Amino acid sequence: MSVVLALVTDAFGGRGGIAQYNRDFLSALASCGHQVTAISRYAPDEVQLPAGIVQRSSHAGRIAYSVAAFGEAIFHRPDIVFCGHIFMAPLAWMVARVAAAKLVIQTHGIDAWSRPSRLVRWTCEQAAIILSVSRFTRARVLDWAAIPPERVLVIPNTVSDCFKPGNGAALRHEWKLRDKKVLLTVGRMCASERYKGQDRVINLLPRIINAGLDVVYVIAGKGDDLPRLERLVHEVGVSDRVRFVGSLPHEKLIEAYRMADLFVMPSTGEGFGIAYLEAMACGTPALGLAASGARDALLEGALGFITDDATLGRSIVEILKNPDVDRGELSRKVQQAFGVDQYRRCVSNAIAILEQTA
Amino acid sequence: MCGINGIYAFRSAANLPTDGELVATRDHMRTRGPDGAGIWWSENRRCGIAHRRLSIIDLSERANQPMVSTDGGLVIVFNGEIYNYPALRAELQTEGVKFRTASDTEALLHLYARDGEAMVHKLRGMYAFAIWDVVKRALFLARDPYGIKPLYTANDGWTFRFASQVKALLAGGSVSRDPEPAGIVGFHLFGHLPEPFTLYREIRELPAGHFQWISEVGSHEPRQFAKLATVLAERGRNPGAPSELNAQVRQATLDSVSAHLLADVEVGVFLSSGVDSGALLGLMRDAGQERIRAITLGFDEFVGTSEDEVPFAAHVAKLYGAEHIVRRVSVNEFHEDLPRIFDAMDQPTIDGVNTWFVSKAAKEAGLKVVLSGLGGDELLAGYPSFQDIPRWHRRFGLPASIPFLGRAARVLTPLLTPSLVRRQPKSVGMLEYAGSWAGIYLLRRGLFLPHELPSLLGEDMAREGLRRLKPVSAIAAHLSPDPKAASGRVCLLESCNYMRNQLLRDADWAGMAHSLEIRVPLVDWNLAKALSPSIPGFVPGMGKQALALAPAVPLPDTVRGRSKTGFSVPTGRWMTYTMGPAVQHFTKGHASRDWAKLVLKTPNFSFVQAL
Repeated sequence: MSVVLALVTDAFGGRGGIAQYNRDFLSALASCGHQVTAISRYAPDEVQLPAGIVQRSSHAGRIAYSVAAFGEAIFHRPDIVFCGHIFMAPLAWMVARVAAAKLVIQTHGIDAWSRPSRLVRWTCEQAAIILSVSRFTRARVLDWAAIPPERVLVIPNTVSDCFKPGNGAALRHEWKLRDKKVLLTVGRMCASERYKGQDRVINLLPRIINAGLDVVYVIAGKGDDLPRLERLVHEVGVSDRVRFVGSLPHEKLIEAYRMADLFVMPSTGEGFGIAYLEAMACGTPALGLAASGARDALLEGALGFITDDATLGRSIVEILKNPDVDRGELSRKVQQAFGVDQYRRCVSNAIAILEQTA
Repeated sequence: MCGINGIYAFRSAANLPTDGELVATRDHMRTRGPDGAGIWWSENRRCGIAHRRLSIIDLSERANQPMVSTDGGLVIVFNGEIYNYPALRAELQTEGVKFRTASDTEALLHLYARDGEAMVHKLRGMYAFAIWDVVKRALFLARDPYGIKPLYTANDGWTFRFASQVKALLAGGSVSRDPEPAGIVGFHLFGHLPEPFTLYREIRELPAGHFQWISEVGSHEPRQFAKLATVLAERGRNPGAPSELNAQVRQATLDSVSAHLLADVEVGVFLSSGVDSGALLGLMRDAGQERIRAITLGFDEFVGTSEDEVPFAAHVAKLYGAEHIVRRVSVNEFHEDLPRIFDAMDQPTIDGVNTWFVSKAAKEAGLKVVLSGLGGDELLAGYPSFQDIPRWHRRFGLPASIPFLGRAARVLTPLLTPSLVRRQPKSVGMLEYAGSWAGIYLLRRGLFLPHELPSLLGEDMAREGLRRLKPVSAIAAHLSPDPKAASGRVCLLESCNYMRNQLLRDADWAGMAHSLEIRVPLVDWNLAKALSPSIPGFVPGMGKQALALAPAVPLPDTVRGRSKTGFSVPTGRWMTYTMGPAVQHFTKGHASRDWAKLVLKTPNFSFVQAL
């Protein structure tokens, strides 16, 4: 079994999608018997470590972080250096050189879609393997990196089994949504990105209402694009139909997924789109565009619904009018394709490929 | 010769592949195999493989593919011919293996069952095949050492696909058409697609002499099992006595021709006026073939000139008692066929028109299999490049090693001698590339030179393509280990670049478009091994002379003394009709450049120019 040094922005005790991914990945490594040491830059929350993982206290500053990384490389001689984000690839490459370890670089979403700086690109090309969360991200990496395609592997996101179907009535009651058709989007609202597509749904609401549906659109998440979306809601004249509920704590998030009729995220910029999986694991159908990593999360339409921009409104109406969903079956299918067992197998396969590299 | 394809959804999350896609890819290769078609699915339907058959050995339906082993543990699809299969079959039978058919395909199945991946070392022939191992739940792909048969793969990270043709993979509808800058730049540099690249980022060619595993773990990197440089370097250490050369060439070529006549249908021959095809014809006679039909192309434009092959070929056909079929091709027929030629062209290429017409003629004559002299110039030092490349290296190698001199010369030459540059556009690169064997080869075979690419393709495409392709180091990789002799190096350069990526690919698509199997006895691993002690020591003319003397009745002096022409086609002249009289071709190189531009204007490839 290998000794793994993980250089990550955040993992255990961190927040957000990348921290979640790192926790899943490192836990899967540990469960396969590898000995993992993580060095994290941020850990605002309480740190709960699974067996087999050590996380060094966080070093937000670059110099302190680098010193800690080299110290680990020199004194603990890892076999594998895992780099959790491509912007750290040059540091990870040097650390791997010092330790004579194999370098594994993780790519997520838009961070890896356009050609990075020459230095980052070169260090990525030196990696033994590059991991991507979706086929789309993998294809973009192969666009800019001259690396054999067999060395760029897809490890999709996974979803914990705490996301499962259940009763959402209490939250509907609390949010006064009884007898409404509820659309839900969960995602960051970032003014510099604006790809999640909440604005697309807001613009379609009048059409959906005209189709005879008593619909409410719940938007969860926070970010600096919120004021623009609030203005848009006002302009479109659907203020009574849209609820901005902010960032939800874990338990409430699960309840929100359960109470919704349709999770809709017509995003054009998903690395993978973990929220689709979470919604479907809670038994709620999910709808996305045939763009970027969402195709993987929705299994090309075999698991969730896939549409294009032009037919988005019609698709939403059709799904809401025909709510014939076996929620238990949908959740089972999600776990079958993307559950923790599948994820662990993916990780152990990647390590098997890594071991074959020179 | 057939068409093979398959899909394996190796990642458990991937959707199951569909019949529709598997069959669409297979049936795009209809002309590769008009005699039969089949598909096979694994029990969990994660892997499907398909085949189109051109039946040549064991014509019965028992030999249809995909072929499943008796115990159901292995399934194979195979494109090509295994010439030593009678010996393999006998060997396996003595070990108690029972055969159900008389096909070489079944021999492959049994050989894999016995030797696993090491089976590739036992094979003599041209092949690309895929074996599904039910127990391992893994696909095993392999391609012959010279790369005579093509095999393209596409891996999207979840699902792996393969097929004998790029266009067939695209026809399945699930493979990305995102462009590959290395392929686009490669075509402009060489006039063909250098393996493993294609025009598309997701589609790669399994390199010659490599095998590849795809298991539930994922797609593993291809591994090399045979390399021509290794053969020349190892065996070239003990050169044979020059006095024995003729006997050696006779024995080895007769052995190869005999092996290549293995078929249950008639085998014909392409006959030009050169030594290679003439000697093949003579050796076919020596090998005992009674009826031989030889096909020669004739062009009205060449009548009465030294380029006309017909009189010489007729003389040779008569000498060996062959039925001679002369097929006249006119400029009108060329224009009529042009759309079909471009349609059949799997990847853009600046050649193949000659093979198209001679294959067409063979099909008209009812032939399914022919021998071609392709490869003789590479093996026996027949090209002028065997003289030019060492000479350029001697003459310009030293000044080319002076820093910046090459670049300065490239900038200054057009200013000082504009007319030279107009006539010989590549002359400006001499001091820039003559520092290495690989660099000179790029210059010698190059269609355009790297510094010309930005104006043709745009700065970004040219830079990215060159960065990904690394043309000089990619060529140099074929020279390692070094055979330590000029002729050995040029043999490697020509065999592993021009012959592999241009001549053999063109022979494949142009032959297959007419459901014709083109066999190449001078591109044979056993032959290369037998002659490898002599190859590094060849001086110009020596190898070809030995080949001319190989048949029991040697080729006459008139053929031996002819300068190299090969199968030439007046395409340069015909293009003047196509593109208008304004096109002026100083040299063959100019005509090739214009032809390349024309190829990229056809619907299949025009996306390159739109980038």
